[in-house]
Amino acid sequence: MLNGENGLNELLEGIEKAFQLIISGDPTVLDVTLRSLYISGAAVCIAALWGIPIAILLGLKDFRGKILLKGLFNALIGIPTVGLGLILYLVFSRSGVLGFLHMLYSPTAIIIGEALLMTPIVVSFSANALEAVSPEVEDLAKTLGASEDQAFFAVFRESLNGVLLATVSSFNRAVAELGVAQMVGGNISGFTSVLTTTIANETAKGNISISIALAIILFILVFGITLAVNLFQRRRK
Amino acid sequence: MIAELRNISKSFNEIKALDNINLGISEGEIFALLGPSGSGKTTLLKIMALIEQPTSGEVYFCEEKVTNKNIQQTRMQATMVFQKTAVFNTTIYKNVAYGLKLRKIPENRIKDEVSDALRLVGLQGFEKRLAKSLSGGEQQRVALARALVLRTKLVLLDEPTANLDPRNAAIIEEIIGTVNRSFKTTIVMATHNIFQARNLPHRIALLQNGRITETGTTTEVFTSLSRTLASFAAADNVFIGDANPSVDGVTLIDIGNDVQIEMTALKSGRVSVFIDPKEIIISRKKFASSARNILKGRITEIADAGNVVKVKVDVGKPFIIQITKKSLAGMKLHLSMKVYLAFKASSVQTIQD
Amino acid sequence: MQTLKKIVLVASIITILIISGSWVYLEHFATRRLIISTTTSLYDTGLLDALKEDFRKKYPVDISIISAGTGLAIQHAEKGDADLILVHSPSMEQTFLSEGVGICRKIVAYNFFAIIGPVNDPAHINGTTPIEALKKIVNYGRNYTGYPPYVWVSRGDNSGTHTAEKTLWKKAGHNYTLLSKETWYVSRQGGMGETLMMTEEYQGYTLTDMGTCLAYSKQGQISLVPLVTQGKDLLNVYSVIAVVPSLTANQTLHSSINFRDAMAFIRYLVSDEGQRMMESHGVFEHGQSLFYGAVQLLKQNSTSQIAQWIKDYAFINGTECPQEYRYNQNDLYS
Repeated sequence: MLNGENGLNELLEGIEKAFQLIISGDPTVLDVTLRSLYISGAAVCIAALWGIPIAILLGLKDFRGKILLKGLFNALIGIPTVGLGLILYLVFSRSGVLGFLHMLYSPTAIIIGEALLMTPIVVSFSANALEAVSPEVEDLAKTLGASEDQAFFAVFRESLNGVLLATVSSFNRAVAELGVAQMVGGNISGFTSVLTTTIANETAKGNISISIALAIILFILVFGITLAVNLFQRRRK
Repeated sequence: MIAELRNISKSFNEIKALDNINLGISEGEIFALLGPSGSGKTTLLKIMALIEQPTSGEVYFCEEKVTNKNIQQTRMQATMVFQKTAVFNTTIYKNVAYGLKLRKIPENRIKDEVSDALRLVGLQGFEKRLAKSLSGGEQQRVALARALVLRTKLVLLDEPTANLDPRNAAIIEEIIGTVNRSFKTTIVMATHNIFQARNLPHRIALLQNGRITETGTTTEVFTSLSRTLASFAAADNVFIGDANPSVDGVTLIDIGNDVQIEMTALKSGRVSVFIDPKEIIISRKKFASSARNILKGRITEIADAGNVVKVKVDVGKPFIIQITKKSLAGMKLHLSMKVYLAFKASSVQTIQD
Repeated sequence: MQTLKKIVLVASIITILIISGSWVYLEHFATRRLIISTTTSLYDTGLLDALKEDFRKKYPVDISIISAGTGLAIQHAEKGDADLILVHSPSMEQTFLSEGVGICRKIVAYNFFAIIGPVNDPAHINGTTPIEALKKIVNYGRNYTGYPPYVWVSRGDNSGTHTAEKTLWKKAGHNYTLLSKETWYVSRQGGMGETLMMTEEYQGYTLTDMGTCLAYSKQGQISLVPLVTQGKDLLNVYSVIAVVPSLTANQTLHSSINFRDAMAFIRYLVSDEGQRMMESHGVFEHGQSLFYGAVQLLKQNSTSQIAQWIKDYAFINGTECPQEYRYNQNDLYS
């Protein structure tokens, strides 16, 4: 029987092999890690690109339906990744609305999906950060000689801590999510295989050591980035 | 004239904050705006600083009309320090240098200017510290340095010492005087503090409900208008009463509602008097002291004014006293509490001299 | 706010540039991309990756391999998201052809399922025929008193393996729906690997493909051994089917379905080289072939038993691909 204490041995062996893989720079480990970073990184850029202007609108302007919109974005923060993945899969499928783009099973599809996933986080957190900036800051900048644009940037700079936190939190969510990457990426090795999809699929195949190796990297990535941002923020305070 | 407001009115939605203001500020003077809260002082200052647009009327700066075309440049010639201290969440150096950078001053000159400005406000060497790590009073001094370093023609100060402890307040008052004397900077300041209004400015205007009711030199205003001053509570602890000298060399003043206070100066007839909030002692029990004035009353208001706390006590007439937050907590003062106010007869000042 | 409008404008322009940029890139890229949809058990043997490597040497096409359960693998093709499928479920394949989506079916390989179980074989099925073995397992299960009461683990996921299992039970004379509810029968509802692990856990019996079984044994994950490995009923036949090019409604400059490269891949699989690739796969690691080439066998019209079994089991209307589904690629069926 292979359970009980043998199970523990197996785990320890797996961890040992995992470290060997990481240290020796195993090509699969490297390839998958870099791809995860690239895809989630690109997604975060896009999410910030369209998310921050929306946040500025929500944080600094008043309009009818503002509360509704804020509530919507807040609610979307927790959207189940596999649900979003399914929707996008149906959209990008060749028989779907955007099928002519031939985007299914490509890194671009994952990037778009993860960008959508991240947008509510970026918008909500950034809007809150902007709202928290004292209203006097804009007048202050102007009275010191700033033009409209310059005054706006002064306000924006005051909210940078919050905006930074938003961006990093969303990156962590993206790099650690499985649903979207699996559904629209297809885990094609060498093309759309990322940390999460590879961990899931290799585990199902029984290749525990590489799964552990990648899981370790994922943990280090997420914790490391969060830690770095916290330290950076503390310095700015 | 450095700045002139002609027929300026300002409304926010339905509410009229300023109604047909006409005012001229001469170059090199210190001009005070006196008025109760809500009278429109801040709005008026902002319009003069060109960061608020009037609903109607014209602003002239150095004899030239301010229009949409030249407002950005003209704005560079005036700067304002707000009542609620505002600093950027960065180093003191970056704060003070902000305006200079906007004016494209070269970096090495900025360094010197910032250093001088900080020395002026008594914060030399503080460049690298984070602005938000300072106390309220120190932050306000940073704000002042940040404004003065720009050497604008006009500096507007909105209740510059209202939320400060006495020490920082004194420092700032001194700086205002120095700057005006040495650099001939025109200063317009809004104040609630009658001491300040009497000591610092050359001219005063009284603002009430968005209208200017009087303008003139300090002496003119104080002499002929002391009654008005008292009646619309332009400043704290100002009372009108009937004075009667008494046998033991003090004057008794009946300021109404059965409140009598003793004053060392000898006067008779109708007088306007004032007691500095800082010279009034508040206690929970009556105690014997050298203070001749002991008044019993109830706390009707407790207001946080930044570094100090202003407590309003109703002894028949409203008195404002100023204590530190520590004292407030230590004495466990709360609203409707029965308290005693004590102040010396010599603390009572008459307004007209 | 003036500034806000400027920012929104800039952001919109950049986003549009990025998206159209990637679309142009993808369009250029999409023409030479072949998407192959296959089943997990086939993919997990690593055969597809090996074939992809080899095929790439001759053909400059980027192959993307998607693996899923048989049902989903076929669905991908039905939606037009795959150009080619490689599966092992003749009944589903027939439907795939008849609904007008699949064309040019070729049987490329075969192997055998196996019934595996614990080393000590408490139900004594070793060496018997598949049907016999199942009957014994039913008996054993019904009289089993251990805890937990599970004696047989099923994949339960409508995969090719699961379909084969159901067919076997039917041949053994049992009503599958009723049987699967008996206490000793448990359904994993998952892939082959997971099913093996559960069987290992309960030290029970299950139906598996040899590829996964060997892989797991080698890694020491299971102690179970193959007990019944021969028999017509355990035959597992792999076919490749292309997707009809006029499938999707959205026709752009380039046809959505990469028919050209799909046919090239089919021809590769049935060629001597392709057949040799398949037969040699896994020999080094496991000491035995995981797949046996079917093309020569069928071509020679040999009277070998296996060829007959294949024809019985996997032919449709007496042929591997009825005329109406050959899409004029008659050279494949000489």
